[in-house]
Amino acid sequence: MIPLAHFLIISAILFCIGLYAVLSKKNAIQVLIGIEFMLNAGILNFVAFSKYDRINSGGQVFALFAIVLAAASVAVALAIILNVYKKYNTIDPSKINELRD
Amino acid sequence: MEAVEPQKYVLLALVAVLLPFCAFIRLLLAKNTSGSAFYAITGISLSFIISIFIFSNTWNEQFIHQQVDWFTIGGTTFRVGILINNLSVLMMVLVTGISLLVHVYSIAYMKKDPLIHRYWGYLGLFCAAMLLLVMADNLLVLYMAWELVGFSSYLLIGFWFTKDAASQAARKAFIMNRIGDIGFLIGLFILYTQFGTLDIQKLFGQDGLVLSATVHSDLWISSINQMPATWLTIAGIAFFMGAVAKSAQFPLHTWLPDAMEGPTSVSSLIHAATMVAAGVFLVARIFPLFNDTVLLVITITGLFTALMAATIALTQNDIKRILAFSTISQLGFMMLAMGIGAVDGGIFHLATHAFFKCLLFLAAGALIHALAHLKEKDDLDFDIQDIRNMGGLRTLMPVTFYTMLVASIALIGLPLTSGYLSKDAILIRAFEWAESKALIFTIVPYTALLVSWLTAFYISRLIFKVFFGKWRLQKGFKNIFTLHDSPAEMKYPMIILAVCCLFPLFSSNPLLFETSWILNGFHGTNSLQRVNAYHTIIPAAVNTISIMVMYICYRWYVKPGYSIANNNLLYRFSENQWYFNCIYDVLVVKPVNTFAKAIFWFERKVVDGLVNLTGRAGLLFSAISAWVDEYIIDAAVNNLALLAKKIGDFTRHFQTGRVQHYLVTMLLFVLTVFVLKYFSQLL
Repeated sequence: MIPLAHFLIISAILFCIGLYAVLSKKNAIQVLIGIEFMLNAGILNFVAFSKYDRINSGGQVFALFAIVLAAASVAVALAIILNVYKKYNTIDPSKINELRD
Repeated sequence: MEAVEPQKYVLLALVAVLLPFCAFIRLLLAKNTSGSAFYAITGISLSFIISIFIFSNTWNEQFIHQQVDWFTIGGTTFRVGILINNLSVLMMVLVTGISLLVHVYSIAYMKKDPLIHRYWGYLGLFCAAMLLLVMADNLLVLYMAWELVGFSSYLLIGFWFTKDAASQAARKAFIMNRIGDIGFLIGLFILYTQFGTLDIQKLFGQDGLVLSATVHSDLWISSINQMPATWLTIAGIAFFMGAVAKSAQFPLHTWLPDAMEGPTSVSSLIHAATMVAAGVFLVARIFPLFNDTVLLVITITGLFTALMAATIALTQNDIKRILAFSTISQLGFMMLAMGIGAVDGGIFHLATHAFFKCLLFLAAGALIHALAHLKEKDDLDFDIQDIRNMGGLRTLMPVTFYTMLVASIALIGLPLTSGYLSKDAILIRAFEWAESKALIFTIVPYTALLVSWLTAFYISRLIFKVFFGKWRLQKGFKNIFTLHDSPAEMKYPMIILAVCCLFPLFSSNPLLFETSWILNGFHGTNSLQRVNAYHTIIPAAVNTISIMVMYICYRWYVKPGYSIANNNLLYRFSENQWYFNCIYDVLVVKPVNTFAKAIFWFERKVVDGLVNLTGRAGLLFSAISAWVDEYIIDAAVNNLALLAKKIGDFTRHFQTGRVQHYLVTMLLFVLTVFVLKYFSQLL
């Protein structure tokens, strides 16, 4: 049986990769991918910790909901990216700085 | 006399005062100055006619006195009005008559002056003031007129104000008169305190307050007040001081010779005939006030002035100065007459003197006028008033010569002239006065005799030097030039005055002053009897010696070969006018100047210094507060603002607008919170 720590380590590595992608990539699609990584790290944690709830399998159910929600959010995010591209002719997040004063 | 009559005369008298005044008002108001001569002469002529009318109706009649309320202070009401008695009508006719002649004379004499309209205005003011002075019934009004006369004389002496000497002389005359005015004012105070009124008729009338006040064991008692008897003397001296300044008596006589800087017509009118007579007039008006001490002072002052001025006149070379000192001397005679109680004689001499001295000045003016023309025409350089530049002019200017000769004979007092009558009146009265006194007082009449011989000498010297011998100017300038006699406007006044210098105007008998109507018009009737030998001896003695003196003078100045030592001590003493100007310079002018300089220094250094110091302290203080304002208060505000700006500038860097930066920041905060929380739990 694979111990819990391994899952948590994998999950942490996934989260860090996602975080790095979100903070550093020059392409909004890649940023979106990074978000998916972090989301999946969280889902992996839900699945791993569900071994303490064998009767209801609450963790696994929550993971399924999260996957569905993630799919929905990706759809919305892609739509946003499309609109951003229409307006700015780029999807590099470092060039979209109209929030500045 | 009917009841309405007095009022008529008073109104007429008022009109006579106001007419010349209108000429002055016109000067003040009118823009168009041409024709000012016409107004002035019309005014004074009407005044003269009115004066003659009043004179002929009121001479030797009951005096006329009309008053109105002037103002009320507390319970005292001041009443002013017009007093017409023998003295004032005589003066009125004299003033207006002489003024009229001088006005006519001035038409030609002042013809080319650019400021001629002012001249007429000033003359008008002077005549009005003088008429007011003689008619005033109240000493306060008299004082006001007195001041006005002084002021207009200041204007007229300084008429050629661009000449430094003229403006200096005007100032000198004004200041000298001021000194006398102080006396007059003090006299007014004393009289008002003692009697509570300044009404001339109430004070000095037949049964007036002054006569009814008594001196009793060192107390001067009037009906309302009493004070120590010395105040009576002080009041007399104070009033006399006013007269001394106005009539140019010693020691305040030095202004009159300097006043000759004015136009000659002015000298003639003011400084010979009218203004200087005001002092004598004042003494005559308030005569009852003087006690024996004051009368003695008046006598001595008059005598000394007469002698001093006569000796000075002996050596002067400026024709107008000779006449000026002659005026002072004759005024001294009048004062002497007042002092010995011969008020009538003094006034009589005043009247006769007014005519012949006015004429002498007008004739001198004619000479100066002619010489000035010559000087201007041929562009020569000589002193037109110096008698050394004249001589032999009798053939060139016959009218001037004969009129001046008549006036001079009147001044000397030879028979058939008016001067003979008045001068003998004074001399004889002086001898009679001395007879009743101690032996020492005989010095008075004998000195007066001496003065009249000196008079004969100096005026003869003037006549001989100017009209006889050779014209000395022709030696200096070789070319032949001619002098023309005066124009008609100058000639006729002189001829009229010459006629007035003769006896018929004053007395029916050319040799006896006792028949003079002026003397008879004043009270002193008993002294007009030929009671003693003086009445015969004195005129004879005076005239014999006068003629001898004139002959000596003729020998000295007309015949060649007689030269006079002119640098011995006495000569220089006389030529320098007894050094009075020097003495006053050292005693008064210099100390006053030094004092003024000291005050000026004090003012400059101390007062101004204090003010400047305060100013500078204020400047310094404001500089400090400006510095504080700029570098502390403003700096604090500015630095706060700057700090806010710096903080703002610093923090705006965080607002990059990039989503990923915000995310990093957020992450760092979250991490920091975690780390802190973790370590704080550990601790």
